[in-house]
Amino acid sequence: MRENFAQWETLFLLNLKRDWKKIIVWILGFGLFSAAFVPAFKEIAKGNGLLGMFETLQNPAMIAMVGPTPVGTAVDYTLGAMYAHEMLLFCGLFSMVIAVLHVVGHTRKEEDLGLTELVRSFQIGRQANSFAAIMQIVFINLLLSLFISVVMISFDAETISVEGAFLFGASVGIAGIIGAAIALVMVQIMPASSSATGSTLGIIGLLYIIRAGTDVSNVDLSMLNPLGWTYLTYPFTENNWIALVFALIFSLIAVVVAFSLERGRDMGAGYLPSREGRESAANSLLSVHGLFIKLNRGTIISWLIAFIVMGAAYGSIYGDMQTFLESNEIMKQMFAQADVSIEESFTSTIMMVMIALVSILPIAIVNKLFAQENRAYLSQIFATKVTRSRLYWTSIGLAIITGAAGILIAAGSLGGTAVSAMGGRSTMEIADFLGSGFNFLPSLLFFIGLASLALGWSPKSGKVVYVYLAYSFLLNYFGGIVDLPEWFSKTAIQSWIPRLPLEDFDASIFITITLMSIALIIIGHFGYNRRDMIEGA
Amino acid sequence: MTEIVTIQGLQKKFGKFQALRDVSFTVNAGEVVGFIGPNGAGKSTAIRILLGIMKRDAGQAQIFGKDVWKDSLEIHKRISYVPGDVTLWGNLTGGEIIDLFLKLHGGGNKKKRDYLIKRFELDPKKKAKGYSKGNRQKVGLIAALSADSDLYIFDEPTSGLDPLMEAIFQEEVEKIKETGKSILLSSHILSEVERLADKVAIIRQGEIVESGSLDDLRHLTRSAITLVTEGDVAEMTNVNGVFDFEQKEDQATFSADNKHLDEILMAASKLGVKKFESVPPTLEDLFMRHYES
Repeated sequence: MRENFAQWETLFLLNLKRDWKKIIVWILGFGLFSAAFVPAFKEIAKGNGLLGMFETLQNPAMIAMVGPTPVGTAVDYTLGAMYAHEMLLFCGLFSMVIAVLHVVGHTRKEEDLGLTELVRSFQIGRQANSFAAIMQIVFINLLLSLFISVVMISFDAETISVEGAFLFGASVGIAGIIGAAIALVMVQIMPASSSATGSTLGIIGLLYIIRAGTDVSNVDLSMLNPLGWTYLTYPFTENNWIALVFALIFSLIAVVVAFSLERGRDMGAGYLPSREGRESAANSLLSVHGLFIKLNRGTIISWLIAFIVMGAAYGSIYGDMQTFLESNEIMKQMFAQADVSIEESFTSTIMMVMIALVSILPIAIVNKLFAQENRAYLSQIFATKVTRSRLYWTSIGLAIITGAAGILIAAGSLGGTAVSAMGGRSTMEIADFLGSGFNFLPSLLFFIGLASLALGWSPKSGKVVYVYLAYSFLLNYFGGIVDLPEWFSKTAIQSWIPRLPLEDFDASIFITITLMSIALIIIGHFGYNRRDMIEGA
Repeated sequence: MTEIVTIQGLQKKFGKFQALRDVSFTVNAGEVVGFIGPNGAGKSTAIRILLGIMKRDAGQAQIFGKDVWKDSLEIHKRISYVPGDVTLWGNLTGGEIIDLFLKLHGGGNKKKRDYLIKRFELDPKKKAKGYSKGNRQKVGLIAALSADSDLYIFDEPTSGLDPLMEAIFQEEVEKIKETGKSILLSSHILSEVERLADKVAIIRQGEIVESGSLDDLRHLTRSAITLVTEGDVAEMTNVNGVFDFEQKEDQATFSADNKHLDEILMAASKLGVKKFESVPPTLEDLFMRHYES
């Protein structure tokens, strides 16, 4: 025991000291995000709001996105029930992702950097660092849970019970612990920190998509899903604490497995063997674009596969929609009045979600150029006749091409699955899906434009583009549920674009946003050509 | 003499690659042992096994008579280590990190810390992410040298340091040596090893190919001889133990096997010696011989 965990508490305190700013932002920022929308939801709940929301969220498409509610009739659908229904899955997911990034950053990343070697030469247990990291996650999530609960209780809403508030907070906290536990296992298996992060996030994405399917078809099956143990606690309605027990047991087992795996490996090594590479470079590598494609290849391929799975998962829901409509009189009338099919309505919403996710990939490709620069990987290339413009345009070009390919694959996969799921009853063709997807191309270009601007003028703020993407995604996502002021929702770029096939294509907006994006890219190029290269900052 | 470090038949595999085949050597109390070998020969692997960071596949490895894997914490109380590439937490300052390391070690000396920070001209208030390679190395060296240990393990400790700082490091190591501490020094800077080390162990492809005191090793090798004789110096080519013979007018230079020195001198004196210079082999000569063959 001592050999393995000695002085973990020293590292634990050291990590708190190193991370205190991050922890404060984490708990306050994310805690408020999870808990502080209660007044906004009160507004929605006014009048017939709860009833309307209840009916809207019975739609299988919505269940696939936000999860189910245990409430059977609209009368029982209280403010608390709605809050948990719409917020908890997302907060849980978010909590997991933050915890994953944190755990990998404190364990495998430090190993890859060589920090662990030095630390281990002292009287520190071999596994003290991993143990400190997991304890830190438990500690942070405990505080986070408490903070969320207290904030929720402080709104003093009738149906936000104290028990429910504590369960809500605990569900978000436990999500972080589950994520950390999965990450700690992958850290042992994978050969490097980046693949550990990637594979863990992939697993979480997969769990989310699987639960979308099981939530619609059979909710009981979602109870077998680790992600299910967060939002299926149903705070404010069933207060199902037992799900948290499953989550705790699962996390404990995962952590024990991770520690025994760690005992069996050498520092810096994983269980997956790293393959032997080529002795000399293939011709396809020997150019700037060849090099960049190679550097980004793993990321691009795994994202494209994720798009296929995502499109197929959402597409498979189309088969159930008519059945749902038959069973729900109010919804049937709603769609009959609006003169749109439920499929078209769903397509326009889900496409916004999918293209927002597709936009992550090109941003990552543009940001990678600076990451390479910052780690001084490019310093030898700067010293050759390769111009900065060449590096810049190769990155931007690659981002645009993979972005467009991403839209094609996501929309195509959604359309293909949807059309075959609907069978002969289909009212839509694949071309409708592709049209709806490529309608969002300007927004994707706009994100590339922002990333380029950052790359050229303020490369360290490249990550802010992700923040804006998340922001505009959430605005659009909740915009469908909450009535936001016009000016506010227009701060998101996607809000300008009409939703196909529900609305009509607007060529002038399409062209305007495209031109703006091109202008941003050109301005970025101007900056990139003249700024100092930043290495090792 | 007490053996501080004992390694016997150490082996380590990474997948199919046999990084260490057969490594054996000892470090005695008060001794400085130079651990040298080409890149990829297994120096750092051996050192990591000694630190209990990696697990050996076979063989024995002990420090202070304790097993390096099972009793690593006990051992770490009395050792200090500096890797060849010191990595630090970017958002802590150099001073903070040194203090932290001393606390983790348990036996720090505050006065010596301050003295060394001055000597190495380190700015301890700067965040570590702003340090150059050499400055990061200084942080590791200061933390290690100001800790009170019985064994110091240095793995290419001066990489990235300027020659002035390198000299200061050597002086500080000599001071430690005088107090009877043991040092295992892995380095490519052979002049450094030659100046500090009592013994060297040369590793090549995971095996110790030569070990012993520098004098012993020199004895096994050849000296560089410059010779001018009255008679025809070319006759020396046929003498046993003469290699790499080169002649420039009446002056010959060759390397002489130390075992055959007697024969060579006899042969030379028959020709009437006008000039005889012998330069003992440097560590570099030794080293090259082992690397090239």
